[in-house]
Parts: sequence; structure tokens; C-alpha cells
Amino acid sequence: MWSRIRKNVLPLCFCLLIVITILATFIGCKEEVTTTAPPVTATVTQTVAPPATTTAKPAPKDKIVVGMSRSFSGPIAIIDDSAFRPVYETWVKEVNAAGGIFVAEYGKKLPIELKTYDDKSDPATMAQLTEKLILQDKVDFLWGGGGTSFIYAQAPIANKYNYILITMEGGATTLQEMLPSLPYVFVTLPFSTWYEMPVLADMLASKGVKSAYIIYISDLHGVEYNGAAGIEFGKKGIQILGSKAVPPDIKDLSPVIKEAKASGADAFCAFAYPDQVFPAVGMSIELDYNPKVWLGGPGINFGFFHTGFGPMVEGVMGWAGWNRKSSAALNTLADKLYKDKPEDAQDWWGQAYYWAGLDMWKAAIEKAGTLDNKKVRDILATERFQTVLGETWFDKGLLNKETHAGEVGQWINGVYEVVGPFDKATAEWVYPKPAWPK
Amino acid sequence: MERFLDVAIAGLLLGGLYALIAMGMSLQYGVARVFNIAHGEFIMLGAMTTWTLYTVFNISPLVAVVICGPLAFVLGFIIHRTMFRKLQSLSANQGVFESNSMLASFGLMFVIQNIAFLAWGPEIRTYNYLMETVSIGGALFGARRLVTLGFAIAIGVIFYIFLARTRIGKAIRAAGQDPSTAGLMGVNINWVLALCFGLGAAMAGIAGVLISMSYPDSANMGQEYLTVAIIVVVLGGLGSIPGSFIGGFLLGIIGSIVSFYEPGLNMAAYYAIFVILLLVRPRGIMGR
Repeated sequence: MWSRIRKNVLPLCFCLLIVITILATFIGCKEEVTTTAPPVTATVTQTVAPPATTTAKPAPKDKIVVGMSRSFSGPIAIIDDSAFRPVYETWVKEVNAAGGIFVAEYGKKLPIELKTYDDKSDPATMAQLTEKLILQDKVDFLWGGGGTSFIYAQAPIANKYNYILITMEGGATTLQEMLPSLPYVFVTLPFSTWYEMPVLADMLASKGVKSAYIIYISDLHGVEYNGAAGIEFGKKGIQILGSKAVPPDIKDLSPVIKEAKASGADAFCAFAYPDQVFPAVGMSIELDYNPKVWLGGPGINFGFFHTGFGPMVEGVMGWAGWNRKSSAALNTLADKLYKDKPEDAQDWWGQAYYWAGLDMWKAAIEKAGTLDNKKVRDILATERFQTVLGETWFDKGLLNKETHAGEVGQWINGVYEVVGPFDKATAEWVYPKPAWPK
Repeated sequence: MERFLDVAIAGLLLGGLYALIAMGMSLQYGVARVFNIAHGEFIMLGAMTTWTLYTVFNISPLVAVVICGPLAFVLGFIIHRTMFRKLQSLSANQGVFESNSMLASFGLMFVIQNIAFLAWGPEIRTYNYLMETVSIGGALFGARRLVTLGFAIAIGVIFYIFLARTRIGKAIRAAGQDPSTAGLMGVNINWVLALCFGLGAAMAGIAGVLISMSYPDSANMGQEYLTVAIIVVVLGGLGSIPGSFIGGFLLGIIGSIVSFYEPGLNMAAYYAIFVILLLVRPRGIMGR
């Protein structure tokens, strides 16, 4: 018997290792429940005073359960990891440390408990998990999944069951058109026509840019940005010399970069995701293609773009939402999110908007004094709130453009600065883009 | 002429990588009879390890070739000696083993991928190395991609010589043709099969090193290269190493021509070739 065990010990150990890894991964990804008990003696400034007396109290409740289907694995995991997750983890910890959210109908503060599932980057799985969160888990609220295509799948479900859905990573003009029929959906992130492309076109025109060459990912995101650029650039007399769709899994971008270079366009725009934008940057450096404007995104706004390309990022532009210098509140937010953390974790586009969205949700619950989604929705849709962005409100389901702290960014001296619109710029736009460092 | 050079050389640059990826997979299937779905994960491990070696320890990717290749070999060798050998002994016949080993490699893929997620996170990793521009007949190319092509061709040729001229190579070819008879002739079959699986993993690892020099990497990158590897292996002929070498370059050149006219059709062209080949010549370019 011992000889058999000895003979099989290596295969057995290996299989055991595999089983343990699968179980650990499964448990880790399948369901993460985070509960932080509020400190008993927390001192908190109330934004809404509790009523002196309450009558006909509902069944006792000791927490607010928020459900999320997020992409912890698969191709979209990068979005979860780099965009909303650092925000909600920090935000929930902070709110719970202060005792939670005061809900008048319970007469006390309730901490937030997150119930999260891994949708493995699959919108269909995300849709199923969203229904599970609503129907089986009966969560009190939902927070959005990651990515525009996920919002398309999730928004009608949330709306159908009268659940508020504050979306995070994603937004689109076609989604904006759907919002009147989705009164429970609120979009935080700016997108092409809201107001990135108009601002970019204004900026380019102000410097006398006459022509542009565009590559775009052949999906909804790319098609929309390419279309918006066609309209907005056209209004400013900027001629589009070339426009090429690239598939998500393209390997060799040299033909399109060479074509862009040959076109002699003043501006080069890559409306795609990091998987395409990063190779486009690499290929531009490799082929010494240095137009006056090199703009790409999403992706340029992440800290890991800087850590990856180092000094090569100087002058490269992308979409931007905020910067430390935008306001004292945003500087404090940057400390909360990034202090003592690797630069890879930084996102200078969406994270301030996500944080503001959560602040608004909390304030709306406190004002409504209930966890009733309809009552909270009505307040979210009509009221104005003080958030990290200053006075903030939703305008027909979209975060009002006045609240945006920026639309276009540029890497200047190793910092991702807001350079457009000019009245919200944290640094002067460097035009033309300097040569790639040798 | 410059345009022709542009397209042709760009195709060779990409094809060299494809050939290297596919040769490893072809060896694993052709001899060890494991259709290794986890092949892309070995590429990913090579790429991510190189990124770590370069950015953390400042070790050149060219040096990483001699680190990642042997490491991937050892990993592949151990996996075959443990998991696949056990599966083989439990399988009633070769057909059952091929099915079971493919399913097991699916599991292996998820295990490696999730470990990589834990180790490196899902972020895209990139680094600057040999970013200089080289002009060939007026056509411009990155030095790093030319180095990659040189490595891919050198490794392909060395490996072919190894198979054709050495005693171990002869044993591998014999095991690929008829493992039972090769065993009767004194070839240690289990050792040779593990060696082939390890060599296939080593090639994937080296391909990963070279890929990381020219393209961004992430813990999630394995599957897209697996797709390319499968197409090339089928194109070249299942299990044919010279076929994979030729198929890799052929696919690279076709991809380059398509990208030149319409980049959006790049992957569609790959799949179209795949389907046409299955209909017209199912055994591939050099399949038996």
C-alpha cells in the first residue's frame, strides 16, 4: 500500500494543488461579502437630522445590502480593478467607519454590506446575476456593472424591477437616448457627445488644427466616438483624412500607423480600449510617428499607462475627468484613493465621478429617510447635492456637464493634467506634442 | 516597391511569432498527443515573467529568453510527468486519452490564468525596449520586432536541426510516428513524451518573452494567442512541426495583406482561411 501511495504521491499533490487553487479562486470570485461593522462610538456630522419621533416603524434592519455583478475575471477585469472597485472599496469603508447611512425610518445609521458576484466579463451572466440579486438575494440597492455594453444589459432589468442603477464605467449617446424610458438609471461617466468630443473639437480648432486621422475599435464604443468626431470636427472645419476600424484583437497596427503618418494629418485619434491604444502608442514610437496631437482612450488616463511607457507618455492626450489641482476636495479624494498605493491604481477619468455618484446616492437615501428605491430615485432625479465635484446633479439621467471637472487630459511632466475645456484646465495644453524621447 | 516591402516584412515579423507559438503546440499534439488548450497560458507566463524581470530586476528581455524558456520547460515537463502521465495510464486507449487530456488542459488553463490574475492583476503591462526605428529599402520597422523575427527563425531552425540530426530528435520522431514500436526499440516513451510537452511549453514561454517586447501583455492574453496557435496548427497540419513553421509565416503574411487594405477584417480573414482549409484540405499544408 505504501509503495502505491509513494508512487502516486506526486500526481496526488499536483491534483490537490489544482483543486485547492480552483476552490480558492471559486470562493474568492464567486461571492464576496464585505461587512464592516460600524464603530459603536463613531461621531458623525449628520447631513439630515433624524425626526424627533417615528411612528409605525418597519421591520428592524441592521444593514443596507448593495448588490453588484462585477467582472473580477475575464477581459473586462482590468476595468473593474482599475476603475470602480478602488472607489467603492474606499468609499464603503469610509462610510461604514462613520457608522453608515442614516435612514430615518429605522431611526439609526445602517452600515453598507456589499454582495458581489463575478460575471466573468460576460454581459449575459451579468444580466442573470442582476436578476438573482434582485429576486433571490433581495438586495436593497444595486450598483452598476463595468463597461458600456454591461449597462445596456443591466439598465432595463434594474428599471423593470424599479431598482435605482447608478452606472459607473460606461456611457453612450445611444444610452442617453434610452434614458427617458429608464427613469431609474443614472449615468455618471462623461462620454463622446457628453461633452468630450465638442470640447476636443473646440480645442483643436483654437490651435488651427486642420486635419485628423482616426482609428477606432470596431464596436459600439469606437463607432460612436468616430461618428461624434465626424460631426464635431466637421463643425470646426477639421478634415478627417482617414478613418479605420480595428478589431479588438488586432496584433499588428503598423499598416494603419504608417497610413496615418503618410496622411500628414495634424491630429491622430485612437478611439479604442487599452488593448488597442497601448500597441498604437508603441507602434507610433517605433515608427517615429509624432503628429501635433496624439489622443487615445480610454486607457491613457490610467496610471499604468505612465508606469508602462515611462517618459514616452509626455504630450500624449486622452479623456480626463479630474486632477489634484481641480479643487481641494478632489485633492483630498486623490489622497484617499492613491496615497501609499502604486501609480498603477490611478484613474484620472472616471473615479471622481463614481465617488460623486455614491455621495449623491447616500445623500438621497438620507434625505428620503427610507430604503424605498422609488422615493430615493425621485430625490436623485430632482435634487442637487454637495459632492467632491461641488454642487452636483443629474440632468435627465446624466451627470450635468457643469459638474464635470474636465474632459480632455494630457501627460505633462509625468502628471496627467486636465487641459480641456480651457476654463477647467489644471495646466496649459502643450501643443504641438513634443517629439518622442530618444 | 516600398509598399510591397512594408507589407511583406510586416507579415514576416508577425508570422515569426505565430510560427514559434504554433510549433510548440504542434509538438505537444504531434508527439505527446495532448491538444494543449493551456498553451496560451504558457505564452502569458513567459510574457508576464519577462515584464517582471525587466521592470523590477532590470534584466534584459534577451536574457529573459534563457530564463523563461528553461523555466517553462521544467513546468511543462513536471505537468506531463504528473497529470498527463496519470491520465494516460487511466485511459482505455489513445482516443480516450486525447479527449481526457484536452479537458484536463482546459482546467489547467483556468488554474494558470487565475494564479496569474492573483500574481499580476488584470492590468495591461508594457515596457520600452529597443524602440529604435530601422529602415529596410525605405520601409520603416521597429528594431525590437526585427530582433523578434531573428529569434523566431533561429529557434525554428535550431529546433528543426535538433529533431533531424540528434539522437533525442530521432527518438522524438519515432515516438511521434508509433509510440508502441518506439518503446519496443528502447525509447523511454514516457520520458520522451514529457520532454516534448516540456519543449512545447518552452517554445510558448520564449514566444511570450518575444511578444512582450513588441506588444502589451496581461494575465488575460493567453486565449487570443491560443486561437492563433490553433489556426496555424490546423493550417500547417495537425502535429506537423515544419507545417506549423510554414503556416505561421503564411498566416502572418495574409494578416499583413488584409490589415493593409482593411484592418477590421484581420481576424475574419484568419477564420475564413481556417474554414476554407477545413473544407478543401482538412489535413493542412503538411499533415499526414
